[in-house]
Amino acid sequence: MALPKRIIKETERLMAEPVPGISAVPHEDNLRYFDVHIHGPSQSPYEGGVFKLELFLPDDYPMTPPKIRFLTKIYHPNIDRLGRICLDVLKSNWSPALQIRTILLSIQALLGAPNPDDPLANDVAQRWKEDQNAAIETARQWTQEHAKP
Amino acid sequence: MNLIRNNSKGCLIAESDEPSFDPPPATRTSALMVGSDIATHNSEQTDRVLTPPHYDVRQLVRLVQCLQCSKPFTAPVTLPCGHTVCRECLPSAEHRANISWPNTEDRQRGYTCPFPDCGTVHPTGECSVDVTLTKLIDKIRVEGSKATQLAGNHFMLLEEVPPRTQTTPIENRVFQYVGRTRELPGGRLVATFTMAEMGELGHASEVLYTSTSMTVEEEQVLDTNVRSCIQEAALKELDCLVCYNLMLDPTTTSCGHTFCRRCLARVLDHGNDCPICRRKLHIPPSLQDQPSNARLVAILNGLCPDLVAARVNALNLEEQSAESNLSTPIFICTLALPSMPTFLHIFEPRYRLMMRRCLEGNRQFGMVMYNQANHPQGDLGTTPFLEYGTLLEIVNFELLRDGRSFIETRGVGRFRIREHGMLDGYNIARVERVEDVSLTEEERMEAEETKDAQASAEGFQRQHPNTPLDPNLALNLKSTHELLTRCTSFVERMRSHSASWLSTRIVSVYGGPPNDPALFPYWFAAVLPIAEEEKYILLRTTSVRERLKLVDNWIRRIEGQPW
Ligand SMILES: [Zn+2]
Ligand SMILES: [Zn+2]
Ligand SMILES: [Zn+2]
Ligand SMILES: [Zn+2]
Repeated sequence: MALPKRIIKETERLMAEPVPGISAVPHEDNLRYFDVHIHGPSQSPYEGGVFKLELFLPDDYPMTPPKIRFLTKIYHPNIDRLGRICLDVLKSNWSPALQIRTILLSIQALLGAPNPDDPLANDVAQRWKEDQNAAIETARQWTQEHAKP
Repeated sequence: MNLIRNNSKGCLIAESDEPSFDPPPATRTSALMVGSDIATHNSEQTDRVLTPPHYDVRQLVRLVQCLQCSKPFTAPVTLPCGHTVCRECLPSAEHRANISWPNTEDRQRGYTCPFPDCGTVHPTGECSVDVTLTKLIDKIRVEGSKATQLAGNHFMLLEEVPPRTQTTPIENRVFQYVGRTRELPGGRLVATFTMAEMGELGHASEVLYTSTSMTVEEEQVLDTNVRSCIQEAALKELDCLVCYNLMLDPTTTSCGHTFCRRCLARVLDHGNDCPICRRKLHIPPSLQDQPSNARLVAILNGLCPDLVAARVNALNLEEQSAESNLSTPIFICTLALPSMPTFLHIFEPRYRLMMRRCLEGNRQFGMVMYNQANHPQGDLGTTPFLEYGTLLEIVNFELLRDGRSFIETRGVGRFRIREHGMLDGYNIARVERVEDVSLTEEERMEAEETKDAQASAEGFQRQHPNTPLDPNLALNLKSTHELLTRCTSFVERMRSHSASWLSTRIVSVYGGPPNDPALFPYWFAAVLPIAEEEKYILLRTTSVRERLKLVDNWIRRIEGQPW
């Protein structure tokens, strides 16, 4: 099946006007599959890390959201051990007017503002609530260990 | 396929969209410009169309002129009938009588449509400012003022030629056709736009042009440049935010957002929020009775007919290759209801295969009942199954060791079978979605029915003062809201009497009664112990009011008492 015009345009724009701190490059043999890198936002425990993600545009995109997960290990209350992300715009709040760019920006923002009240990784969220400083320290250590640029 | 539904006579411009122009008009200094009207087409005048390049200028400006005030739109509102007027040009809102559901604030009042071919009272909630047209006209204004500045000392003399007869009643309400003459800066295009902005050029008027400082060639260069600047700026606003293509058959929602008709229909298949502002959209997903945005259609055809044609061709090719007729697998078994769960035990090998294929695909299949009485089914003739059914989506699937399975499904919509065949032992069909009429139609039906019933009831009671009304007449008298209240209070009464069919077990499966009157009858039918053939009628009833009346009939029977 031919690639829809929308995916072609989105890819072109991602290449031509990349978002600072984010890169998304499609696979040559599968233009619906993207390698994504997100730089940890400054002033966050993820600062200095570069996180690798995979992003896939399903057949009925943009009617359904992109499928996306972290490949790099990350200590975050809204990201579980398998790299799955708890983000409303990737689920019930998805809208076809959103796009790859806006989704990646939301994920970057999620790194800057973890939300332990809406957790996916319960153990991490628990720790985040009980001892935030220790949790942030762990997140920082994981970043240094796993997200080396 | 008729992609562009509305009047697209703006197409006249197509012929002039050439890179090089023909020789200039014979009459060097003055030429009568004739374009076609968006609303009315005066064929007698088109014979006098003069040579390009300039004959589209008047029509181009007309594309953005309000039919009411004749100025280029300010805060344009595209009405549910597909026509557009400035917000300021709408009449003041009035009360909409005899409507009890949906009784939301934005539907209690409405504007009487100023377009004579419509005349409907459109609910205020469906009359939002058209976001695309607003941005488009802003861009055109910016390009217009840039061009005016660039024009320097070039001026055109414009002489308004009013139409010989007032073409549509809407125009003479606000605009007075005088036949003014103005000298304005720029080429023909910009000068015409400026005159319209001044409110001195009637929508239906033509213009006589005299150049006071330019040769015809200079005029042409100026106009061609301005036109391509406007086109470039406009095209940026004419992309659909779902497919990122040029809008095809633009269709505008009640919140004022516009998408390709096809894209909007796909969006509505997945939910009823506007993708941009997330407001709830109350339109049937097929968009059957939703007119296109007439003004945007005309603008697209006028501004870039070649791009529109290319887009239509590409889509036709795509649809030809995707054509698959009998695409819905059909399970003949039992009555299933929209939004309600249905539990199935699958043991026949052919249905195991069907379910496996469903699970690999979109997890949906159609459920229909056996045609036990051998009644003919519409165009299908006498089939082993009934023609109306419910589309089910698999929610849970439990495969047993011996290959049998239990599946839990939920009804996601209703359909009617239009064509059917077999695939590996099970039935497949081409189905047509069955959906409710629009809210506007629902409201119209309520208003009309209650009003008529009122008149009949009064007449009857004058003649037979102490006789009770016919039960059906009494039913028609009730507002939709009263019908619903009667249904829900019946359920409450039954609950307090612990009716067996409302046992906790049943309620735990089907949930409590839904508040949405559109869904209530399905719930009621799911829990009520009456024959499936009677419940089946719900599947082909496309009005909420009619469904509630069916429920009301069942209640009356259960209560076993006259009205
Ligand atoms: Zn109207
Ligand atoms: Zn107006
Ligand atoms: Zn579109
Ligand atoms: Zn909207």
